[in-house]
Amino acid sequence: MLLQFPTANSEVDLDKTYDAVVIGSGAAGGMAAHVLTSHGLKVLLLEAGKNQDTSKILHSMQWPYDHPRRGKMPPDYHALTTNEYNFRQAPYAQNSPYKKVTSYVQGWGGSDYSKTLVVDEKEHPYTGTRYAWVRSRAVGGKTNIWGRLALRLSDYDFKAKTHDGYGQDWPISYADVAPYYDRVDFYLGVSGHPENLPEMPDGKFQRPLKLNYSSLHLRGTLKGMGRMLTPYRAGVATDGLKHNKYRSRCYGRGACNRHVGGCDIHAAFDSPTGLIRPAMDTGNLTMRPNSTVYEVTVDRKTGKASGVSFLDSDTRKSYQAKAKVVVLAASTLESARLMLLSKSSLYPNGIGNSSGHVGHNFCEHVMGPSVAGIMKEQIGKPRTLDDGRPGGFYVPRFRNLKDRQPNFVRGYGFEGGAGCGMVPGTAFTSSGFGEEYKKHVRDYAGATIEMGAFGEVLARYENYVEVDSNVKDAWGVPVLRFNYRFGDNEKKMAADMAVTAREMFEAAKFEIVSVTSDVLPEGWSIHELGTARMGDDPKTSVLNQFQQSHDVKNLFVVDGSSHVSASCQNPTWTIMALCWRSCDYLADQLNRGQI
Amino acid sequence: MENGLNRRDLLTLLSAAAFTRLQLTAAEPNNPLFFTAQEFALLDLLTDLIIPTDAHSPGAHDAGVAAYIDRTVAESFRPEEKNSWRAGLASIDELAQHTHGSSFLKAGKQKQVALLTKLAAVEWRPETEPEKFFTQLKQTTAFAYYSSSIGIHQDIDYKGNVILQEFVGYDAT
Repeated sequence: MLLQFPTANSEVDLDKTYDAVVIGSGAAGGMAAHVLTSHGLKVLLLEAGKNQDTSKILHSMQWPYDHPRRGKMPPDYHALTTNEYNFRQAPYAQNSPYKKVTSYVQGWGGSDYSKTLVVDEKEHPYTGTRYAWVRSRAVGGKTNIWGRLALRLSDYDFKAKTHDGYGQDWPISYADVAPYYDRVDFYLGVSGHPENLPEMPDGKFQRPLKLNYSSLHLRGTLKGMGRMLTPYRAGVATDGLKHNKYRSRCYGRGACNRHVGGCDIHAAFDSPTGLIRPAMDTGNLTMRPNSTVYEVTVDRKTGKASGVSFLDSDTRKSYQAKAKVVVLAASTLESARLMLLSKSSLYPNGIGNSSGHVGHNFCEHVMGPSVAGIMKEQIGKPRTLDDGRPGGFYVPRFRNLKDRQPNFVRGYGFEGGAGCGMVPGTAFTSSGFGEEYKKHVRDYAGATIEMGAFGEVLARYENYVEVDSNVKDAWGVPVLRFNYRFGDNEKKMAADMAVTAREMFEAAKFEIVSVTSDVLPEGWSIHELGTARMGDDPKTSVLNQFQQSHDVKNLFVVDGSSHVSASCQNPTWTIMALCWRSCDYLADQLNRGQI
Repeated sequence: MENGLNRRDLLTLLSAAAFTRLQLTAAEPNNPLFFTAQEFALLDLLTDLIIPTDAHSPGAHDAGVAAYIDRTVAESFRPEEKNSWRAGLASIDELAQHTHGSSFLKAGKQKQVALLTKLAAVEWRPETEPEKFFTQLKQTTAFAYYSSSIGIHQDIDYKGNVILQEFVGYDAT
């Protein structure tokens, strides 16, 4: 199916005042476009990157031997390695001889297909403390290649301070968001098995994924320990969606795990087919890709936002777009950057930043600790189809729910998988050579099981980004400087992750192959959150509960920057549920003349 | 922008043509792209010792592993990478000369296996030049073999990358 967006940039009318201009076209921007256009508002969507049709570039089912480099990027492309983040100073791509340098994700197998979806680090530098920042500038942003884990947060997250005394509660509770999670589930499709867990509420699930034998065995073991293993809750339409002609149902091809991600039949949610294209069909949406926004403009008389200034990403020519409401959805860090860049006499610290909190309380997930094992009964068994589904399993948080850990607050979950992939991991971990090695690879390939943790990084004021006006990106826009480090709570939590990972595999009688407690560099989770948090108090928060600026009533920030705490559950579904709720409010307020 | 589709189609066609050309010029054993005939013979033998033909499936030679490595090294961007392969192969020969008094190729199967056994014993903590090269060679051979058609279909008998109406596996109960 061809996805040719009908609007050419030259046809975009910049003389007219749109009801809303939305900056960014990923999960948040796509959702804002969907909800606002469904209310009949005329929306201009600006995206810095180009329109790329993943139906045509991902080649989800291509065999590695049918690709000249077995799926690897061209030799003059380079993906940053863990060591480069660990031992070098940002900007990491500075003086690199390579033609294009990407963040670490392209180092994974099959990365040639998605290499155009991520930014060239040489054009997009940043400075400061170590951070593995993964960015996509393309229509749909990171949703084109996201990991698909679609989880709900609970009041253990929204009311976390009430529960453990740390940080701030969100200005909303689960009951406020639940109806919007339902809408996201129905509109976009989510696969899951109901478990009735208060810490990770069930959704309106489509057909659940199945489990491999060893995963099912571990599920049984964990039940006995008062823990849970549930099939991967994937943001994938396993039964299809009758209301969306741009997306197929899932056919278990398993391609989403082999490549960096992405689905060329769009069974996995992506913003272009799930949200933007249907929004365009309403006739209310105008999209201009290739538009690098660098400032939110202000009407000096009213103090309200009047629109945005942007550069054509190719010609570098500057343009203005006018709108009644400005909706930032450029990603947690880019939206904060835009607010900080939008300085004026009225807003000397950046627009919407009278609290001084923009860029602060930056949080995410800490990763690294993991376990790998072998289920002995599976060694040498006839081959089974182990990866024909969009994910393996998930072990939800079990720490600091009923218990109180002495060393750390909050918790972590595990993502895991088991069995034989297309290129088995045992090829690289089996010792020796010759017939014995070859047999070992084959016999153990189906017996492997592994899982790795994602833990909540505490939101702390002292973890922040700011604008570094000494360094500019390829478009002349000042870049971000990171002042961000994992703290003591994260380190102690990571140590506990390795302990419980081993404990669970030992309880399941798996043979342990490896356990690591090493923490990966900051940024690895690609779950940046919290740089413009919501709250009831304008002195300590940037946005109200509807992601509306306390200072500027017609400015909304609908991406992950609004999150008050990181939870340990993956954020995309929550970003979209909150955005839907806020855009309903926005449309209502605009219709009543309140904005 | 108005010609976006046509331009993209053209690019796809061009890159398809480039693909075909690359595949046509892929190394034949007698005509390697980077290695000398002598080096290629050594590389081919080493990879086939690491993953030999057995009763279950063909090995690295039949899977064209050396040809794949030759192509990769030939187009590699960094001169250090090319050098490391050339120097690595030479270090194996040097070791064979030192230990057995002949080149690796002429050492005979028994001595060849004995030499690799020594190198493999320290593959997770290599120190000397030939030890480090063995680890690099083995990991590369593993990738090249297990991502080949023979590796995926004949050896591993991989069942996936197919269209399924229903997921396979066990229900979470």
